[in-house]
Amino acid sequence: MVHNKLPRTPLPRIYLISSGQENHNKETSLLRNLNLIPGSLCCMVQIREKQLNAKRLLTLALKAREIGLPEGTRLLVNERVDIALAARLDGVHLPEKSCFPYQLRPLAPNMIFGCSVHSQESALIAEKSGADYLLFGPIFDTPSKRIYGTPQGLEQLGKLCRATTLPIFAIGGITPENGALCMAEGAYGIAGLSIFQDTFRFVKTLEQFYHIVTK
Amino acid sequence: MIPPSPFLCVITDDAFCPVTIAELALKGGAAIIQLRHKSASGSQLFSWAVEISKLCQKYRGLCIINDRVDIAMASGADGVHLGQKDMPADIARKLLGKKRIIGVSASSLEEALQAEKDGADYIGFGHIYPTYSKEKGFPPLGPETLQNTAALLSLPIIAIGGINIENAASLISCGAAGVAVISAVSRTDEPLMAARELVSAIKRKYS
Repeated sequence: MVHNKLPRTPLPRIYLISSGQENHNKETSLLRNLNLIPGSLCCMVQIREKQLNAKRLLTLALKAREIGLPEGTRLLVNERVDIALAARLDGVHLPEKSCFPYQLRPLAPNMIFGCSVHSQESALIAEKSGADYLLFGPIFDTPSKRIYGTPQGLEQLGKLCRATTLPIFAIGGITPENGALCMAEGAYGIAGLSIFQDTFRFVKTLEQFYHIVTK
Repeated sequence: MIPPSPFLCVITDDAFCPVTIAELALKGGAAIIQLRHKSASGSQLFSWAVEISKLCQKYRGLCIINDRVDIAMASGADGVHLGQKDMPADIARKLLGKKRIIGVSASSLEEALQAEKDGADYIGFGHIYPTYSKEKGFPPLGPETLQNTAALLSLPIIAIGGINIENAASLISCGAAGVAVISAVSRTDEPLMAARELVSAIKRKYS
């Protein structure tokens, strides 16, 4: 099985998630923003486009893979290991109701498998089942994550960071203003979806976050 | 390997438990079970795939997973079935290797020939008759188109779409290696009997 082998450098601390609004009739914000990432700034990037069928998702993933991204960048896709393999991505992000990492790792032994968790209990299950990192949230209130209920808050984030040895990315309503609070609670990094949609301010936002996580 | 012709393929129905349908269909003589469920979560699909694969070993059938090449690989299923909007068969073949089965849905000779070129093992061809199980954007192809396509294709064809006990056997005569049904098994009072009757109908015609 072929896939992209990257040196085992630590995971980047900024985590970008695509908009979920990609379609193939126009230049997409995902590809446009990937091209804008400054060369010194590596990120985790998750392609999360559940509305696309597998054929279109694969096309998008292949296009994203072709972009010369900064060294150390990890390009992941939501849930679909087959797409990750076919497009030689670096990993797969598993939503809470998808398979466990141990069930999928035999298909892609060198890939990164991360898990979304919304409680301490599911975080510990994900850790035991072989996750490489966790995405925990929503920390703050955010329209896109309101379906997951009330925000977890900084206290729960801190509790979880102390309960597991895995890198935890905080997600949900993270801004350059409150991102430092997440890092202070022990988060490994910070993740965002809507904050990175503004192409005009994309690089500036990215640099602000980078400043916070490297402090 | 694709089962010897003629055979019955039963596709699971979103409205019923796929494992229950699969077991009844296998007991009734179905040779292929295709697990198809568009709204189930990944973990749910995976556990169904594992259970149906076990049933298929027990009853000597094949378990084919719709769309999700990764679930097929992880669950140990026998193969995948790919629609025109799923991963192209040539790419799926690289992931799955030679031993696993790849079926491709086609509704024209062009699509069928392309799938053949891409390394598919069988073609799901249809819809032959009007069907309500899936939304379609084009009129039914009819048995004649099936016959013409089968004559030009070396791959086995599984006819699909609006197939029932009355018309199943005639499609085998048109050159289909097998027939695939959803509602003709799942939406009946006795799915096991429905499968058994379909199997005997296509075998009777064939012998």
